[in-house]
Amino acid sequence: MTAVTDLPSQHASHLTVGAKAALITVVVGAICLALEGVAPWLVKWPTAWELPATQWVGAFLDWFLNGIKPAMRLFSDLMAYPMYWANVLLGSQPWPIEPIDLSEPIEPIVTPWPLVIAVVTAIGWYLGGLPMATLGFLGLSFVLASGYWTESMSTLALVSVSVPVALVVGGAIGILANEVPRVKSFVQAVLDVMQTVPTFAYLTPLLLLFGFGPVVGLIASAIYAAPPMARNVMLGLERVEPEIKEAAIMSGGTRFQQLFQVEIPAAATQIMVGVNQCLMAALSMVIIAAVIGGFNDIGWEVLLTMRKAQFGESLLAGLVIVVFAVVIDRMSGTLATERKRYDQRVVWAILVFTALFTAAFWAWLPNPSELTLLDPVAEAVDSGLTAFTQANGPWLDALKNNSLFYVLLPLRIGLDQAVLPFTWGFQWTPGMSFGLFAVGAAIAALMAWRGHLTGGLVVLILIGMLETGISNLPWPFVLTGAAALSFVAGGWRLAALSVGLLCTILVSGLWERALLSLYLSGAAVFSCAVVGGLIGLASAVWEPVWKVVRPICDMLQTIPLFVFLIPVLMVFQIGEFSAFLAICAYAIVPMIRYTRHGLVNTPEEMMEAAISSGATEWQIMRDVRAPYAAPTILLGLNQTILYAFAMLVIAALIGTTGLGQSIYLALGQADVGLGISAGAAMAILALVADRIVQGFAEEQRKALGL
Amino acid sequence: MKKLSVSLLAMMVAGSAYAADMGAVDEPIKLAINEWTGQHVTTHVAGEMLKAAGYNVEYVTAGMMNQFQAIADGDITATLEIWSSNVSDEYAKKIDEGTVVEIGDLGLDAKEGIAYPAHVADLCPGLPAWEALKDCAQVFATAETLPGGRLVDYPADWGTPGADRMVGLELPFKAVPAGSEGALIAELRASTERKSPLLITFWQPHWAMSAYDVQFVDLPAGEEACFNDPAWGPNPNAVNDCDFSPSRIFKASWNGMEDKWPAAFEILSNFELAVEDQQPMMGAIDVDGGQVEEVVAAWMAENEDKWRPVVDAATQ
Repeated sequence: MTAVTDLPSQHASHLTVGAKAALITVVVGAICLALEGVAPWLVKWPTAWELPATQWVGAFLDWFLNGIKPAMRLFSDLMAYPMYWANVLLGSQPWPIEPIDLSEPIEPIVTPWPLVIAVVTAIGWYLGGLPMATLGFLGLSFVLASGYWTESMSTLALVSVSVPVALVVGGAIGILANEVPRVKSFVQAVLDVMQTVPTFAYLTPLLLLFGFGPVVGLIASAIYAAPPMARNVMLGLERVEPEIKEAAIMSGGTRFQQLFQVEIPAAATQIMVGVNQCLMAALSMVIIAAVIGGFNDIGWEVLLTMRKAQFGESLLAGLVIVVFAVVIDRMSGTLATERKRYDQRVVWAILVFTALFTAAFWAWLPNPSELTLLDPVAEAVDSGLTAFTQANGPWLDALKNNSLFYVLLPLRIGLDQAVLPFTWGFQWTPGMSFGLFAVGAAIAALMAWRGHLTGGLVVLILIGMLETGISNLPWPFVLTGAAALSFVAGGWRLAALSVGLLCTILVSGLWERALLSLYLSGAAVFSCAVVGGLIGLASAVWEPVWKVVRPICDMLQTIPLFVFLIPVLMVFQIGEFSAFLAICAYAIVPMIRYTRHGLVNTPEEMMEAAISSGATEWQIMRDVRAPYAAPTILLGLNQTILYAFAMLVIAALIGTTGLGQSIYLALGQADVGLGISAGAAMAILALVADRIVQGFAEEQRKALGL
Repeated sequence: MKKLSVSLLAMMVAGSAYAADMGAVDEPIKLAINEWTGQHVTTHVAGEMLKAAGYNVEYVTAGMMNQFQAIADGDITATLEIWSSNVSDEYAKKIDEGTVVEIGDLGLDAKEGIAYPAHVADLCPGLPAWEALKDCAQVFATAETLPGGRLVDYPADWGTPGADRMVGLELPFKAVPAGSEGALIAELRASTERKSPLLITFWQPHWAMSAYDVQFVDLPAGEEACFNDPAWGPNPNAVNDCDFSPSRIFKASWNGMEDKWPAAFEILSNFELAVEDQQPMMGAIDVDGGQVEEVVAAWMAENEDKWRPVVDAATQ
């Protein structure tokens, strides 16, 4: 409590770090604005200064990739075996049985679907008793009824091979970082890169390396799924009690024995959290891998239906992935908690019964691809969408136009260009710019006089940005602003890192596209922070809200994002507003979750102290819960930023023009250099934003004494 | 020139009609299945022809843009519906390397153009004549394109033919790239259902042409001179002031195919499919919900005279 009340006292000192940083930013911004006419190179980085970095990257990668290609092709050939057998076992490919009489073609034998359902149900029972068994049974029955059984089993086969690869790689990275502390910060950076570079960016090099086929999808999802495993292994090993470690040393084990017989078992629960996260990440990559093709999986089905703009069908195919995610999440989630043993006889009973059932009804089992039980539902959803767009066209158009005219366009190109007779009803003049800045300066002066110098300067900066528009911001201003923010959040080292990384984008000629991406994800992050924060707050104070919101959050996070593009497009057409909404739909989830989580988990002692001192509900929320939840909420904001950047690539499918589009162009033209450079630029933006927010969160945590 | 000589060669092969060796009949010939239904129909017809000749055929899903590396490596044997308007740079690279070879035209008569759903003619009287667009740009205007009209163009990675037309013809329209085919279809669907204005870059054969009653705008004929000589056409100061140059749809295979499966190579080289045959099959699948295997099997049974001679010429 004391730490919290201490915070405002910082502002009383004559010039805080924040005020200095803001002041420098304002000065640089003013200089750029003043010299705009004289020195155009201040606003737009001249093309002549750009280095052909994308070509260099391309040339280097071509050389490098061709060098390691043979080894990778060998690996690819090796992985084809487990892939094939996983497919055979799950029934998406027939068993390799040679017909005895070659002249007469026989019906290919595939693993019958009742057996697969029975095995999953039995695993459910073994892990979590009746509830899990029911979940497994109902989940797979839904998949069966959807008519996508074969495709789904292909997907499951991919996940079942890629996850062990990711677990081994992730585990090895985690152990390495634990054993050799010097490499830890390097490993952290590598993990960040693995998670922030959009998968689309490295699909082309992977294709070149591993050859065509499902192995590429397998590797792509393993790359994305390994970091959560590595992070949790690191965390788990770090948290092993010193006493346990000492006991292992005293009993005279070698380091190897200590690690594998004592420390890893002691960290098992945390490592199981990693396994769970790894499974979920692998599953979410399935759809991306389908863009290349190579085998007939559920992701390919989603792409096909999406191409025809059939919302109902693509939702159905997407829901199959959601069902897998829920079943796998809940079942592997039980691994991370202490669990009791369930009667194994039930497992055998389920399996034996199903085997007998299958044998008895072999000839009558329906072909799962011909089941169309859920088709009417898909059609109903589709016609529902039609009815909705027909009925609500006018006001939805008005909503879109107003958002564009009054919010998105000014943010992108600034008030000076966005205010036109067509949009606002009048023409913006330089006089108005001057007036706006005068108002901003007055507000800043007033706030400075009241003791909020930093706040006043920030208002001035924001007004300047609104007048100019994010995509027209002069590059010295952006660099100074980023440096100032990083300095306040994390000191000189972070400031140097941010500027260094941003400069690589500047010289590589991707700056303009990067600013467009920054604008779109910035607008989305801001809206998500406000709306998501409010929903999180509502869910925290009123339980029924959370009951409704939670399953929606679950679905938004696991369903392939492509599915949402269709209804958004149908209602709002191609363009930035649709992209903005699509990004928000995905990125708002962590904001809601973390806000609620932070607000709900205030320690009991603090609550009791506040209640006994007679604070009202509202006072507790404002003075106790909110400050305590701040680090958690900032972590949520951080995740929202990363999610927004991740979604940018997919939003390019509805015609945005930032870095996401470059990545698609590169994928289409197999331009390794452009793809990797654009992917790297995106990762850089995300990393800088991530580090700055984490810096602030760390500061807040220190202030709270956590 | 190179393309011409290849198709000449294909004609000579067809003319001479000698029976080629079957080659490795036990090993599957892998045909690429891309992202659109028309291509599925084309590929399944070709695949069934190969099966009828006694080959083992496997259908492999592959992204249109990404398939050429796989063909160059021999992981995919052939792809049967490449649109000249929408082919990645990588294809040209692989052709230069010699790892992928072109095996003649598919014979589909394709057309690309600036199009609109039929109801738009009521909103902009004078269509399909292109001059009408000069005066109705306002009808098509949206928030992003004001004061100009909005033209939904191909996704950026397919090129910007629509934008080029607008510039060439000096039409007050701003082209917005669609991002994906799904986005184009969603636009057509929403426009038809809401009776709202829409101008779009589109092509046929495509199932959506009939499903949404799409009409093409009449533009000056796309002659060679239009693309090189500014003086040609209604706008004396610009190129591209005309319709799209006719697209070619062709087939390509792995360079090792001819040696490994000589007869199959001959069948695929001579294989052709007409719009009149492909479009009804597409409708049966996309509109009536049929399975591609069944629809193609039905067509094969009814139209044996159209495909059997090609198979027989290569095998007997």
